[in-house]
Amino acid sequence: MSSSRDDFSIAFRSALLQRGAAQKFSLVFLIIIASIIFFLDIYGFGFMKPIRSIINDGIYRVSLVASSPSRFIPQATGSVTNLFNIKSENEELKKELEVYRQKELSVEYLTNQNKNLRKILESDENLFKEHYVLSKVLIDKSSPYLKSIIINKGSKAGILKGMPVIDKEYLVGRIVEINYLSSRVLLLNDLNSRIPVTFGEDGVQAILKGSGGSRPVLEYLPEGYVVEEGLDVFTSGKDGIFFAGSPIGTTVEKGEVKLFSESSQLSFVKVDLSKQKKEAF
Amino acid sequence: MLNLKTIRKIINLGPLIFLYYLSLSEIDSHFENYFEILSFNIQLIIIYFWVSKRPEALGGGHVFFAGLINDVVIGFPLGISSLSYLVVSLVATYVKNMTVNTRITTDWFTFFIAIFFSNLILFILLSRFSEITVSVTEISYNTFFTLIFFPFFWFLFTYYNSIVTTGRNV
Repeated sequence: MSSSRDDFSIAFRSALLQRGAAQKFSLVFLIIIASIIFFLDIYGFGFMKPIRSIINDGIYRVSLVASSPSRFIPQATGSVTNLFNIKSENEELKKELEVYRQKELSVEYLTNQNKNLRKILESDENLFKEHYVLSKVLIDKSSPYLKSIIINKGSKAGILKGMPVIDKEYLVGRIVEINYLSSRVLLLNDLNSRIPVTFGEDGVQAILKGSGGSRPVLEYLPEGYVVEEGLDVFTSGKDGIFFAGSPIGTTVEKGEVKLFSESSQLSFVKVDLSKQKKEAF
Repeated sequence: MLNLKTIRKIINLGPLIFLYYLSLSEIDSHFENYFEILSFNIQLIIIYFWVSKRPEALGGGHVFFAGLINDVVIGFPLGISSLSYLVVSLVATYVKNMTVNTRITTDWFTFFIAIFFSNLILFILLSRFSEITVSVTEISYNTFFTLIFFPFFWFLFTYYNSIVTTGRNV
């Protein structure tokens, strides 16, 4: 009994302390160093922020280069497939073009009407001005635990923590980490994401919570409320971070929301700087 | 022109290059588009296999640095993946010290112990000390699928190892 315990302790000590021919450090030394780095980073000592920022910027750039072969292969296969689909797509587009030409007339009418109504409301034109920074997605490594992307704009471009990130017209997430030349965007489907939203004709208020999967879920609904399928979900702006009315997705079964923007397909996104401008005044 | 010696050197460094490349690049083993819960951690398999079979191919320092790089790319607090990887290294080294002859079944079982402790430490540190929320279910699925895919990589790496070591002991 005691000899087996001795064997265990000898082997364990040996595993922790021994250094092979090619090993420069023992495991126990590396474990201690890793623990120190972890706690320094967690408790956010002042000197760690610039160090982390420099490390992040450097590694993101190297990662972009390292990932280029893996990006090229799907792009190349996609191009070949596209070539075959072009003809049938062209026919369909011609038909759609006719429909859009007719719609254009009604859009023009509605735009004029909208302008007139804004004049009547004496609305602040600046409120509707766009202050966006266009950014390229550097890394979108999908982790089973964290859903985030890295973009190529950071504090140098005026980006601040918490700013909303948009793909076309649709909200995709918010900034959670800023470096000098890059930033991390927490996507709406991440487990740590919470966004106040509104939907339906009654303007029901809820919180859109990331599920860790592809579809976030609506929480804090009115008591007994059953979510219908097919309702468009918008930001409510109650948190003071997002403007009200940014489209997010459509409700599906079990209170889940199918996002308008596919997070795995993001190439370029826009960061909304307007909140920063507003706060500055 | 690359001579035979350089090629052999590159093949020898294969596991190390693969580990760094996986930590650094966008390549991931999370196939949510095909099957939402399917995700596995190839890095843990690489570390366990090579530390237990040929530790000179994968030093502790490299495991530590690969972990740091992975933390930056994923967005975890620095050092957490290093700790997780080093725990796997520790179990692999212990098993290597305690056993003479291993088969896939013994490796599979001990690998389970390694990833259990590795993911347990990852979960405890993330949930206790950081603001990042991780789901136990996600970690469990990841552990399960990593374990399921282990034999496939075991055979693959054993074959690779046989290529690398061919003629070395002659």
